[in-house]
Amino acid sequence: MNDLDLQFVDETVERLGRRAEAVIPILQAIQTHYRYLPREAMERVCTLTEITRATIAGVSTFYTQFRHHPVGEHIISVCHGTACHVKGSELVHDALERHLGISPGGDTDAQGLFTVQKVACLGCCTLAPVIQIDKVTYGNLNSHSVGEAVEAFLGQDQHGRPSELAAVAHEGPLGEIRVGLGSCCVAQGSAQVREVILRTLAATGAAAVVKQVGCVGMCHQTPLLELIPPGGGPAKVFAHVQAENAREIVLSEFAPQGFWRRMTYRAGGWLDRMLSDERPNAAIDRALDVRDRPVCAFLGPQRRVATEYCGQIDPTDLDEYLHHDGFKALRHCLEKLSPEQIIEQVQAAGLRGRGGAGFPTGQKWAATRASASDKKYVICNGDEGDPGAFMDRMLLESFPYRVIEGMAIAAKAVGADEGILYIRAEYPLAVTRIREALHKLEDRGLLGDRLLSTDFRLHLSVKEGAGAFVCGEETALLASLEGRRGMPRLRPPYPAESGLWGRPTSVNNVETYAMVPWIFRNGAAAFALLGTEKSKGTKVFALAGKIVRGGLIEVPMGITVRQIVEDIGGGVADGRTFKAVQIGGPSGGCVPAELADTPVDFEALSAVGAIMGSGGMVVLDDRDCMVDMARYFLRFTQDQSCGKCTLCRVGTRRMREILDRICCGQGRKGDLEMLEQLSVTVGAGSICGLGRTAPNPVLSTLRYFRAEYEAHLAGRCPAGRCKELIAYRVNDACIGCTLCAQKCPSDAIPMTPYVRHEIDMAKCTRCDTCRQVCPTKAVYVE
Amino acid sequence: MPHLTIDNREVEVPAGATILEAAEMLGIDIPTLCFSRQCEPSTSCLVCLVKVMPGGRMAPACATVVSEGMCVESETEAVHAIRRTTLELLLSDHLGDCVAPCSFGCPAQMNIPQMLRQIAVGQLREALITVKADIALPAVLGRICPAPCEKVCRRGHLDKPVAICELKRIVADVDLASSSPYRPECEPASGKRVAIVGGGPAGLAAAYYLTQHGHACTIFDDNEELGGMLGRDIPEAKLPREVLRREIEQLLRVGIEVKTGTRIGRDVSFDELRARHDAVVIAVGWTAAEQAPPWGLGVSGGGIAVKHRTYETNVSGVFAAGNALRGHGTVAIRSIADAKEAAVAVDQFLAGRTVAGVHPPFTTRIGKMEHDELVALAAETSQAARGAGTMYSWSASGVEIADAAEQAARCLHCDCRALATCRLRQYAAMYHADPRRFKAARRHYEQDIRHADVLFEPGKCIDCGLCVQITAAGGEALGLTYIGRGFDVRIGVPLGHSAAEALTKVAAECVAACPTAAIAWKTNLLTKSEENA
Repeated sequence: MNDLDLQFVDETVERLGRRAEAVIPILQAIQTHYRYLPREAMERVCTLTEITRATIAGVSTFYTQFRHHPVGEHIISVCHGTACHVKGSELVHDALERHLGISPGGDTDAQGLFTVQKVACLGCCTLAPVIQIDKVTYGNLNSHSVGEAVEAFLGQDQHGRPSELAAVAHEGPLGEIRVGLGSCCVAQGSAQVREVILRTLAATGAAAVVKQVGCVGMCHQTPLLELIPPGGGPAKVFAHVQAENAREIVLSEFAPQGFWRRMTYRAGGWLDRMLSDERPNAAIDRALDVRDRPVCAFLGPQRRVATEYCGQIDPTDLDEYLHHDGFKALRHCLEKLSPEQIIEQVQAAGLRGRGGAGFPTGQKWAATRASASDKKYVICNGDEGDPGAFMDRMLLESFPYRVIEGMAIAAKAVGADEGILYIRAEYPLAVTRIREALHKLEDRGLLGDRLLSTDFRLHLSVKEGAGAFVCGEETALLASLEGRRGMPRLRPPYPAESGLWGRPTSVNNVETYAMVPWIFRNGAAAFALLGTEKSKGTKVFALAGKIVRGGLIEVPMGITVRQIVEDIGGGVADGRTFKAVQIGGPSGGCVPAELADTPVDFEALSAVGAIMGSGGMVVLDDRDCMVDMARYFLRFTQDQSCGKCTLCRVGTRRMREILDRICCGQGRKGDLEMLEQLSVTVGAGSICGLGRTAPNPVLSTLRYFRAEYEAHLAGRCPAGRCKELIAYRVNDACIGCTLCAQKCPSDAIPMTPYVRHEIDMAKCTRCDTCRQVCPTKAVYVE
Repeated sequence: MPHLTIDNREVEVPAGATILEAAEMLGIDIPTLCFSRQCEPSTSCLVCLVKVMPGGRMAPACATVVSEGMCVESETEAVHAIRRTTLELLLSDHLGDCVAPCSFGCPAQMNIPQMLRQIAVGQLREALITVKADIALPAVLGRICPAPCEKVCRRGHLDKPVAICELKRIVADVDLASSSPYRPECEPASGKRVAIVGGGPAGLAAAYYLTQHGHACTIFDDNEELGGMLGRDIPEAKLPREVLRREIEQLLRVGIEVKTGTRIGRDVSFDELRARHDAVVIAVGWTAAEQAPPWGLGVSGGGIAVKHRTYETNVSGVFAAGNALRGHGTVAIRSIADAKEAAVAVDQFLAGRTVAGVHPPFTTRIGKMEHDELVALAAETSQAARGAGTMYSWSASGVEIADAAEQAARCLHCDCRALATCRLRQYAAMYHADPRRFKAARRHYEQDIRHADVLFEPGKCIDCGLCVQITAAGGEALGLTYIGRGFDVRIGVPLGHSAAEALTKVAAECVAACPTAAIAWKTNLLTKSEENA
């Protein structure tokens, strides 16, 4: 690599600057260009900039985004988020490596075509298990179908990406076709659907415009299409629309009346899945009776505050946001209220931080306001890293202006004139949308030196994270913004006193900001009316796991876990038994089915050993092993620990090792006691929130499911989940079709046509393929 | 000026002071590993955790600023338990042997690596002092010891063990043949008298060490010649009597009185012996079981019954060591080791202190190493062969001494180079941490030997980050940094460069600040007193 062309490095430095804090953007640019970080390029950066070699080595090895070795032509990211985990992502990962012939310990196939990497969460939890090949996402995979996804990718790759088409200009009233273009919708094919619609409109001249809307929340039904006839009238909603039937749907609506009706009956299969004709569940029926309401409102128990106008407005259209009362709250704050009054209102509303800990937002702002300094910052924490949570991604993608408006109000309140939105790099669409939004706002004078023609000045910018869960911790986030390793520091001092570059800084979560405009438009009292005594307003949750209807929901505080699972989510899927809900991800805990009447409330959830967290809710059924869940989260936190303090760095590792051996049936006497003792110590002594909460999943499962731990010590996994403790068997239903034998990747099933098959457990890798392919469900786990 | 209490003691501190500083004002020792006055607190090691009321949260004392009315708990069982767990977690990921396997395998726990380093640089006199600190009769033992040290010598896993026993003999022979053989300094006379019954290896060793403690020792032996079984049971060819006689003579020169031909119970009664002395050590060999009952001493397992570690019999002031405990013969090194330990207990008894004996030294252990690790470990050692059979005559020539130096340079230096300064070891011992409590798969052993003076062993690092701060502040062009994240994080040299390039200005500061031996001087010829400090 001596002849590596370093011209790009020189240009990048020229573009991004020579200061130390530019290190992460520079490394990101270098990696995008060279596809990894060549050592020569890093050395070159150090000679050109203030960045030291110690810094570049420290930073580039801290963030998981950075690669130090060349990779294959395409990157396959296998999501190991919670929802994907419970739906078998490890089996998918193993199968993928087998399919590509990747040798153990390696990550790239022999041809150098694909590099497989594990990612903490792609935030497409309702499509679990999910993989992403370059920028294309494939969902609902299993060990059997993942190979097909790879082949499909190679097929579409050859045909190239579809081109962008524009709708034909029209006179007279136009219909509207709303297509959800959130990341999950795109993963399910909504971009192709939109493409087909645009083509159809162009070809037929049908009188409609295509409008992209943000996440519609009903992820279990995506891609969703909402058709609004010219001149208004009842909207029609279509679920699970695929590119091949999009054309028919469009023509059905925007062709002469009567044709629509014919289509409805004729089109058969795909129309059966139209929302109105299935799911006889109470929650859906109620909402769908009102046909003219936006699709999002179909979930009755929900309340839209942060996600107001969900599925109706184009996330990138500033005029539309303004038309829907956008920036009214900011104008009110700038023109009518003093900073103290703004803070009073937020306090009166009872708003608490939505990032997890629930610290009173008004109090945080007041502390920042009270810190004397000629320079202050507001930060939007968009480093949503909980596996199983994607609310912040959805809010940033779908409501960029709302988040920014909330942030501007915060800036006015605390006295900041500069702000940064820190968004994790795994959310490219969110980054793009926010960047676009910032540009438009600056052009319109809604950001900049004279906001809304007042003397209030605010400049906002975007910084991308680089793959470190711990950067969700505010002091780590600030370190990352300063171009350092994202290692948290001891608080106090809190960022409100000493934050970014030592200046008072208010760090708030995306969802917190998204709540703020509503409070000023509807009044603090209206917000405080929602919720419980100490937890006001609404909370956005990502509902996923073993549930009939997963999605992005916003509910008033105080709603019970059971209402969410049963009414909104439609209960547990596949006729299994509801076992528990994991709330709060790696910092949270499991609420067992018998405590499902616990209300969603900061204090009530803590009391049962879970936390509100950032809002991931993963529903578990009787096939989910609670020891495995504990191990899953411990692996996650241990992997994401910054490594600074002993208790977290070594303590979580030792805890994980104990859980590993328990899951393998090699647990020892005294392991549970040692696990408990370590949990308490790590929780009590760690420096930051990550370490302090890391033991929660262990403590919560030990509290409610200790018998399952004891069963593992005795060599049994009651849920039939832990590979080392289970066996695959074939029962009499086997018709001897040989399909399992054909598909078995480890030759563990001798081919015996027309005779009941048997599985050689010595060869079996527990990949689950046989059970998945068996047409008569003769394969079972014991 | 805020006030606080630590363990219910009140103190007023300057504004901005930390709990650690407040504790210092009160003379309360809060342990720290990652803290250094010259650096920002990194709050990484967490052994300084204290409980802070109100709220009861655990906070690192080094970085927690005192606020008015704080109540801090430091010396409570709950706080100690957390510190102990923290130390045990650090130890579970600390790849090193405090004490080398050879020393650990030696019944007398002799500091073998130090002896070898001294021989390797030609410091034979210093080497002998190292030897005689633990082995009273090295010329004798150098001929008859079965050398358990060599059986566990790590070099033996690579090729052949270092010829430890042979080298020890050469050191002793050279000394005995010299014009002024080594005679240790003794502490001022204590005024106490000790009777040693039996002049074999155990009796001689007990007398040798007790005399050095300042006690007046008399050896009683019913034979005319000292040496016990050494002179009776070992063939001349293996142990020339000339060597035995000369080494005993030299040993006695420390100032030991000898009464040969004197049998206790016949020539002097046991009661009289006790009356005339402040303590008695029974070292009569394997026939003790017959002699002991008339003296009122309890017997078990064929020998005199003593308490574990203190060698105390059931009669106050009477101790026993060597084969007298066993009722059968064992290797002389065991007898000598017993006697050395018994001497410590007797000294404690005579000084009126608690008689605790010698506790085994605290040590972490690497255990078995892979071949490639051994190759790395051997990188800077002599690649000479072990040599075969008896290499040297007992008055070694200059050539032979050069050979000995080469042989000693084969040592892998498994022992810790910072034994005297390692704070991890110090606190681990203080808090009774069990290094094996969180047993886990260990890291791969690595070392960076490219710096001329400094040895960098990342496996010993506890990620305190002091060196990272020191190199950055000290203007090192390259310096050190954290590499990786989480459990895998290691302190290392950026971008694949070597420690030689990283430490060009502040190596000494880094060595001094390192709380373990991750960054240590390559040469560290400790004296015995430093080691015990």
